[in-house]
Amino acid sequence: MNSDPRNPGTNAAAESGNRGRDSPRSEFRRTLHEIGDEIAVLWWGFFDWLAVVSWKKLLLVSFLTLVLASLLKHPEPFFLLIVASFIIKAIAGGKRKADLTATEATKRAETEQLERTVLEARMEALQAQIEPHFLFNTLASIDQLIQTDPPRASKMQQSLIRYLRSAMPQMREGSRPTLGQQVNLCSAYLEIMAVRMEERMQSVVNVPEGLKSAVFPSMMLQTLVENAIKHGLEPKTEGGRLEIGAEIVDGQLAVHVLDTGVGFMPKGDGGVGLANVRERLKALYKDRAELIISVPPTGGTCAIITVPYEIAPATA
Amino acid sequence: MPPSPAPSAVVADDERLMRDQIIGRLKEAWPELLIVGEASNGREAVALAQSLEPDIVFLDISMPGMDGIEAARALSGSAHIVFITAHDEYAISAFEHGAVDYLLKPAEPERVALACQRLRERLKQKPDPMNDLLSQLSQRIGAGELKPREYLRWVQASVGANIRMIPTSDILFFRAEDKYTRVQTQRFEALIRKPIKELIDELDPKEFWQIHRATVVRVDAVEQVSRNLRGHQVVHVKGSEERLEVSRTFNHLFKQM
Repeated sequence: MNSDPRNPGTNAAAESGNRGRDSPRSEFRRTLHEIGDEIAVLWWGFFDWLAVVSWKKLLLVSFLTLVLASLLKHPEPFFLLIVASFIIKAIAGGKRKADLTATEATKRAETEQLERTVLEARMEALQAQIEPHFLFNTLASIDQLIQTDPPRASKMQQSLIRYLRSAMPQMREGSRPTLGQQVNLCSAYLEIMAVRMEERMQSVVNVPEGLKSAVFPSMMLQTLVENAIKHGLEPKTEGGRLEIGAEIVDGQLAVHVLDTGVGFMPKGDGGVGLANVRERLKALYKDRAELIISVPPTGGTCAIITVPYEIAPATA
Repeated sequence: MPPSPAPSAVVADDERLMRDQIIGRLKEAWPELLIVGEASNGREAVALAQSLEPDIVFLDISMPGMDGIEAARALSGSAHIVFITAHDEYAISAFEHGAVDYLLKPAEPERVALACQRLRERLKQKPDPMNDLLSQLSQRIGAGELKPREYLRWVQASVGANIRMIPTSDILFFRAEDKYTRVQTQRFEALIRKPIKELIDELDPKEFWQIHRATVVRVDAVEQVSRNLRGHQVVHVKGSEERLEVSRTFNHLFKQM
């Protein structure tokens, strides 16, 4: 509590003061300091208020103060205060206000930045998941075709290259992915699977030209298509059909992948990729997007991703 | 039955190109080997092997219907097995004990030649039943009976006229209603026929708690627990106005720490 007065440099009171009686005096000074602090806090509070309050409100408050002040004997200080307020607001208010908004914006930007970093890291991890099983099987098929049907081998290899090129580093270019790009990627994948699965897989891509420039998050359609093949058609001995389609429903872009495979398994890990898609949709669009899995009356599985309909800005 | 003079084999892979490749390489490496049958799934492979009784069966591990491991189990002891796989996700160390050989796709001619050489040696003995190996393998693949218990991750429910798959992580609670069980999510409600009594066995007990004869709630969706006028505990769920009563039997779930 009490600072030792003999301790050099503690405070000004100790040096100039009478040693015998400096205790109550320093207490008084401390109180003064506290009052000073309080006033400073009040002043800055008042200053902040001045900075952010609208001119209209300030005028109103001034008017009320004037009315009240005119009832007093010495209203002059209040007139001064009001004039000072206006001057302060005019000169420093803008800056202070900008400071406050800037602080807030920085805070918001930091959170958003953090969110984006986390999201991107997750997306990269996701995109790195080109399945080794798919890759090796495809390479083995190409190897076989090189001997038996070289033109087809070459075509399949081109599909693989197209697939790998778009499946790998996609996000690095700043431009936003479009539905057209995603459909191309899936077509390459489907071409490969058609060669491998032969009559066990037929696919139809039914995406209107006009919707191909719409913004659509990367690798989501791919996840749906891979799921449909891996968990729907491949396990079915006689195989089946796969359809990709897109339409505008209530101003939203709805993209579906339908298969006539074995149907969705409610247990097991088949949903990992889908859980990932849901999580990403939430991160990107909050509540404005969703993934719905349904069971069509004909059997199989239908997965629909709905996102806000947005045209991608044309790239130069 | 006396062994046939020329060794015979069945090749099973769901992709024709891959069968052609294996057969082509086998012909180069072992011209005397008779390929007596080709199968495109596990079931077909087993049926063919049982009727044709080949000495060797080449089995792709991932095939529709019945996979290669299951097929090998069905053929245990009746033929020599060689597995085919695209990459070693199945931890090929399991094969190193030598009872069974494996080929990686695309099968390199030298590797196929080596496999054939080993098979010629092995044909002198009876096929190994491979019990240990197969159970070890199926455990790794998660396709055998030793599979750990799996809980529902999705619930198939009717929403209006449609049938939807609802991820359990979206579900706030289940509630028994007449003949149906209502599935409540933040956005909609759906109906399923399965009664709570059966449902609770299929749900992950870490994810869902039964709090009443008629109610199961997702633990993470619980916001708070209060008491109603009758002194019952009442669960408040995030994203729903509904209050769920806890019956006395389940009071212990929400005991204070």
